[in-house]
Amino acid sequence: MEDKRKQLIELLFSNKEDYISGQELSNRLNISRSAIWKHMNELKNVGYEMEAVTNKGYRIIKVPNTISEQALRWGLDTNWFGNLINYKPTVGSTQTIAHELAREGASHGTVVIANEQTMGRGRLKRYWDSTFGLGLWFSTILRPSSLEPKNATQITLVAAVAIARALVKHEVDVKIKWPNDIFVGDLKLAGILTEMQAEQHLVDYIILGIGLNGNQGINDFHPSVQEKATSIYQVTGEQVNLNHIFQTISKEFEQMYELFLEKGFGPIKLIWENYAYKMDEWITIKTNELWEAKLLSIQNDGALRVKDEQGTEHTLYSAEILW
Amino acid sequence: MLKVQEIRELIKLIDDSSISEFTYEADGATVSMKKQGEQVVQTAPKPTEQPVTPQPVEQEQSVPEKVTTEPSAKEEEENQSNASMSTDYDTEITSPMVGTFYEAPTPEDPAYIQVGDQVKSQSVVCIVEAMKLFNEIEAEVDGEIVEILVQNGELVEYGQPLFRVKNK
Repeated sequence: MEDKRKQLIELLFSNKEDYISGQELSNRLNISRSAIWKHMNELKNVGYEMEAVTNKGYRIIKVPNTISEQALRWGLDTNWFGNLINYKPTVGSTQTIAHELAREGASHGTVVIANEQTMGRGRLKRYWDSTFGLGLWFSTILRPSSLEPKNATQITLVAAVAIARALVKHEVDVKIKWPNDIFVGDLKLAGILTEMQAEQHLVDYIILGIGLNGNQGINDFHPSVQEKATSIYQVTGEQVNLNHIFQTISKEFEQMYELFLEKGFGPIKLIWENYAYKMDEWITIKTNELWEAKLLSIQNDGALRVKDEQGTEHTLYSAEILW
Repeated sequence: MLKVQEIRELIKLIDDSSISEFTYEADGATVSMKKQGEQVVQTAPKPTEQPVTPQPVEQEQSVPEKVTTEPSAKEEEENQSNASMSTDYDTEITSPMVGTFYEAPTPEDPAYIQVGDQVKSQSVVCIVEAMKLFNEIEAEVDGEIVEILVQNGELVEYGQPLFRVKNK
């Protein structure tokens, strides 16, 4: 059933300028005309708009604004990112499900996406606000066979660059807070949680979790994050189609990831630096004690270079930074 | 030229032997040892164009009285700890990357692993994080954790041992 609908959407999409007749759809999918008609009705129910013209056939004219597997797929222009999309209306955490699928052997590029997470989490299991239908919450399984675990850390900056580039295409001007938070002004628009299972020299899999605020008004956020978070809607004043944003991010990520595997971190670093948040500014770093430091740059391996008040330079791979 | 360790071994060997005098020459440098009663005395190599003698040898030379007792006591200690370590563990779980060691998924949660815990190869023993990439480290071996070598929140290097395991 699902499979036929997926094929139907692909057929309609590949003919989007043209009409395609019911008979041709029936032949191509090897199902009856009435089965086609049934699928069409279901697509309309989830928000598609179809034009049907006698003697010409069907044409898709609008994809729904709400997330569904079909809508996510319709227009997804990637080679492997999202080749399998596991859409669930409500989940505890897409990250947890992606881990389960990965352990069962799910392939590189598999996506788990939900309209709502009841237990959405960031790092250290911190709360991630994921209200039904208002943002993108998805986790992607990556299996970079040519990458050693010690070089995999830069994936987090690769993902940040991809999201930043995707958002710029949707006219949202963002900055990247080292290493990978997406900010507009001093407010968080998107976060990335990357978890890896690896042996000494071999990455088993990486789960790249992305949470992006789309259409939240200020009061849609939990009070605990209202002063820290923003959404595309709050930035641009316009509701966005989350399916489109997903597709842009998917395509950008695929490109940046392949660039990274092919050419290393060098070219990613150059792009990252264009988006750097608070570079050359003073921030507070919390290690065992609090200390002030000036952000200098990122290194060739993605680590953060800072200078303390005595003028000594430090390299940070992980640190609690009070921005 | 001989290494400090090799000289130490020589001292010990000669000390335990009936040899009263010993000279070793190579590359224009000479090591001579002569027993004076119960003591082994070692003289530093003659100055040559070769690199300077390592510091510890000179120290030993400046306090010849201690030469007989100190190295053997030290070696006994080492032997003891070697012996106890070799019975204590078979495998070390090492860090696959540079990063921060976390003993638990969150500060509120109990540690994944404590000394005495039994682990399977798939058991998660800790997290190492760098640049917000969280790596759940698995034991990769069946056995008992006998020693935890790092503190929560500590920066660890690539390949640094984190746990010692006695295999099943």
